[in-house]
Amino acid sequence: MNKVYTSLILVFGLVVLWTIYLTNIREDKNLTVRYYTIKELTVEEKSINKVKIGGLVKPNSIDINESNRLEVWFYVYQGEDSLKVYYNGTRPDLFKDDAEVVISGKFDNNLITATELQTKCASRYEGDLKNINSI
Amino acid sequence: MVSQIGSLALSIASGLILSTFFFLIYYRLTKDKLFIDLSERSIIATCLSIVLATICLLNELLISNFNLQYVAQYTSYETPMFYKVTSLWAGQAGSLLFWTFIMSVYTLIYIFFTLNKIKVLKYHSYFIFAIIFGFFLFLSNFIANPFEPVSPDIIVQNGNGLNPLLQNVTMAIHPPILYLGFIGTTILFVMTLSALIVNEINYQWVKSIRSWALIVWTFLSAGIILGGYWAYQELGWGGYWAWDPVENSSLMPWFLLTAFIHSSIIQEKRGLLKTWNVLLASLTYIFVILGTFITRSGIISSVHSFTAESLGPLFFVFLCTLILLTMFWFFKHYHLLVSEEKIKSFTSREGGFLYNNLLLITMCFIVLWGTLFPIISEAWNGEKIHIGQNYFNQLNVPIGIFLLFLMGIGPLLSWKKTSSSTLISNFKIPMISSFIIGSLYMVFADEFRFYPFVTLLGIIFTLTAISIEFKKSFDSHYSKDSSFFKAIFNLLSQNRHKNGGYIVHIGITLLFVGFVGRAFEVEREFVLKPGEQTYFANYNFILNSVTTEERNNHLAAISSMDVTDESNTYITTLYPEKRIYFYRNPDTEKHQPHSELDIYSTMNKDIYSVFSSYDSDTKEAYFKIMINPLVNWVWIGGIMIVLGSLFAFWPSSSRRD
Repeated sequence: MNKVYTSLILVFGLVVLWTIYLTNIREDKNLTVRYYTIKELTVEEKSINKVKIGGLVKPNSIDINESNRLEVWFYVYQGEDSLKVYYNGTRPDLFKDDAEVVISGKFDNNLITATELQTKCASRYEGDLKNINSI
Repeated sequence: MVSQIGSLALSIASGLILSTFFFLIYYRLTKDKLFIDLSERSIIATCLSIVLATICLLNELLISNFNLQYVAQYTSYETPMFYKVTSLWAGQAGSLLFWTFIMSVYTLIYIFFTLNKIKVLKYHSYFIFAIIFGFFLFLSNFIANPFEPVSPDIIVQNGNGLNPLLQNVTMAIHPPILYLGFIGTTILFVMTLSALIVNEINYQWVKSIRSWALIVWTFLSAGIILGGYWAYQELGWGGYWAWDPVENSSLMPWFLLTAFIHSSIIQEKRGLLKTWNVLLASLTYIFVILGTFITRSGIISSVHSFTAESLGPLFFVFLCTLILLTMFWFFKHYHLLVSEEKIKSFTSREGGFLYNNLLLITMCFIVLWGTLFPIISEAWNGEKIHIGQNYFNQLNVPIGIFLLFLMGIGPLLSWKKTSSSTLISNFKIPMISSFIIGSLYMVFADEFRFYPFVTLLGIIFTLTAISIEFKKSFDSHYSKDSSFFKAIFNLLSQNRHKNGGYIVHIGITLLFVGFVGRAFEVEREFVLKPGEQTYFANYNFILNSVTTEERNNHLAAISSMDVTDESNTYITTLYPEKRIYFYRNPDTEKHQPHSELDIYSTMNKDIYSVFSSYDSDTKEAYFKIMINPLVNWVWIGGIMIVLGSLFAFWPSSSRRD
C-alpha cells in the first residue's frame, strides 16, 4: 500500500470514527434529539430541553388565541395518554383534529412548548379505498 | 377494455422475462448463438410490453376510468388534464410502472447503441437485466398492480383527486427527471457487473460507461435541484433542502456518481483505479435501490414516503441480492483488476481526483449514517433518535468547503507530479485574488462569520483558477488562429469534456454563493388587517385587501400586499393566497387548506411571503415573511451544471483532452 492511498484511507477512517463518536458516544444534543413517548413524559418530573414526540391531535382540543391567532394550545395523544402543547407560529395546512403530528420543543411542567410543528401528509392520498363506501 | 390490455401487457412482460432466463440457460448449455438472439428479442419485447402497459394506464387516467383503484385514488373529474398525466407517478403502483417504463427505454437504447459495440457483454447483460426486470415486474403484477379494479362494493362517483401540493409544474417535472437519473444507474450497474464477470473493465468500457454516467448524472443533478426548487416554491418553509431521508436518498447516489465521473478519468487517461471504479459504479445503483427501500418501506418516516403497501421486505431482498452478486464477482476477479502502477504524488492531478473522491465518499458516509442512524439506534437499544439538520450541516459544510477549494486546486495540478515552481506560479493569482476579496469582506462586512467568509474565499479562488484555465486555452488557440471569434469557437468545440467540466464547476461554485445566503436569512410572522402595515428588515409591508375567488377546484382567499423600502419607494405587490381544495365537498373533513405563496425575486435577495391564515369575521390576515438572500444563484448554478454537463456529453469530433 503506498503512502497516498494509506493517508486517504486514514482520513476517511478518522471522519467515520468522529461521526460515530458524535452521534453514538457523545450523543451530542445539538445533533441528535430523542423521540419520547407521551407515556414517558407524563411521568417525567424534570424539564427536558429538547424532545421530539409524535402523536395525533386530540379532537376538540385545539384552542386558538383569539387576539393572536398564531398562538395555539392543543393536546396530542397516543392511545390513552395525552399531553398539552403550546405553539406560536404558522401552523401547517393539514393541522386539524386527529391529524398526525410531529412536535419538537421543550418539555416543562407537563407542557410542551413547541418550536416545530409538522403534520404528516394527508392519508387520503395513500389511503385504502376499500374502507370507503363512496368517494 | 384498455385496462385489460394494459394488465395483459404486464403479464406478458413477466412471461417474456421468464422465457429470457430459459433462452440464456439454453445458450449456456448449447452455446448456440440463436438463443442469445432469442433472449435479446425477448428482452426487447418485454420493454415494448411495458411501454404498452404504461400507455394504457395513461389512457385510463386521462379518461377518468374510476373502475381502476389507482385512477380513483389519484385523480378526479376536476383534476386538470396536465395533472392527470402526472398522476401516473403520484402513487406507489403507478410510479413503479413508470420506473419500469423508463428502465425499458434505457434498456432499448443500451441494447441498440452500447451492446452493439461491445458484443462480449451481451450474455451477462441480458442475465442481469432479466433479474432486475423480473423483480420490478413481480412487484407490478402481484404487489402493486396499477390495473387493480376498485372493489365491487364501492360506488365511485368521483375520484380522490391529486394532492394539491403535487399540482405544480415543477413537481410535474421533478419526479420524471429524477427518475431518469435514478433508473439510468441501472445501465451503469448492468454494464459494470457484466464487464466485471467477463473481465472487460478496459478502455472501451470506461469510454462507453463515462458517456452513460454523464447523462445519468445530468438528470440526477437536474432532478435534485428541481426538487429543491419545488420545495422552495410550494412548501412555504422558505428553504430548498431539509436533509429529509428521501432527499438524502437522492443525494447519496449523486455523491457516488460524481466520484465515479472523476475517478474514471484517471482510468481513461492512465489505466488506474479499475477496482475503485467498479465499486463506485455498482454502488451508485445499490444506493439508488437502498434509497428506494428507505422511501417505500416506511422504516423511516418522511413527508415523501409512500406507506400503503409493504414493499420494504421485497426491496430489502432485492438489495441484498445486488450486494451479494456484486461482492461475489468483485472478490472473484479482484486480482484481474489490480494495476501495478500506483498514484505516488500528493501534488498531482491524479491526487486531486483522489481527494475529490475522498471528500465525496466522506460526505456520502455522513449522509448515510445520519439517515440510517435512527434505525440502527432503535434496533440497538430501543431508543428512537431524530437526527436534525444540525448534524448534516455541522459535518458536511466544512467538507463541502474543502471540495469547493479543490475544484479550484485540481485544474492547477499537473499529471503525475507538479513541481513546486509550477505550484507556486499556478496558485499565485487565485490566492492573491481571494486574499483581496477576503480583506474587503473583513473591512466592509457588518459582522464576521467564519463559514461565509471561508466560502467566499473558496468561491473567488475557484472562479479565478477556472478563468485562468480558460484564458490559457484561449491564448493557445489565439496564437494559432489570431482571430478572436475563431479562437473562442475552437476553444469551445475542442476539449469538450474538460471545458464542459469547468462549466459544471462554475455552476457548483454558484450553488455555494446561494448556500452562503442561507446564513443571512431572516423571518417574521405577523398579523394585519386591510389598510394596516408593518416594518421588517428595512421593508414596509402594507396589506391592501383580501378578496375571495371561487376557482375550478378550489376556493382562494387572495391577499394583496404592497412592499416599499425605507424611503417609501414602491418595490412590488405580493399576492400570497390561502386556498381550500375540495371545498365543494359537504364533508368538511375532506376540505384541504393550502397556502400558495408569492415570491419577489431578485439576484440579491428574495422576499418570500406566505399567507398562513385568515379570519373573515375580524378581517385579520396572518403572514409569514422571509428575506432570503442570494437564493437565485442556486437556480442559476443548477442551470449551468446541466448546460455544462450536456456540453461535456455532446460528442466531439476531435477530442484531445
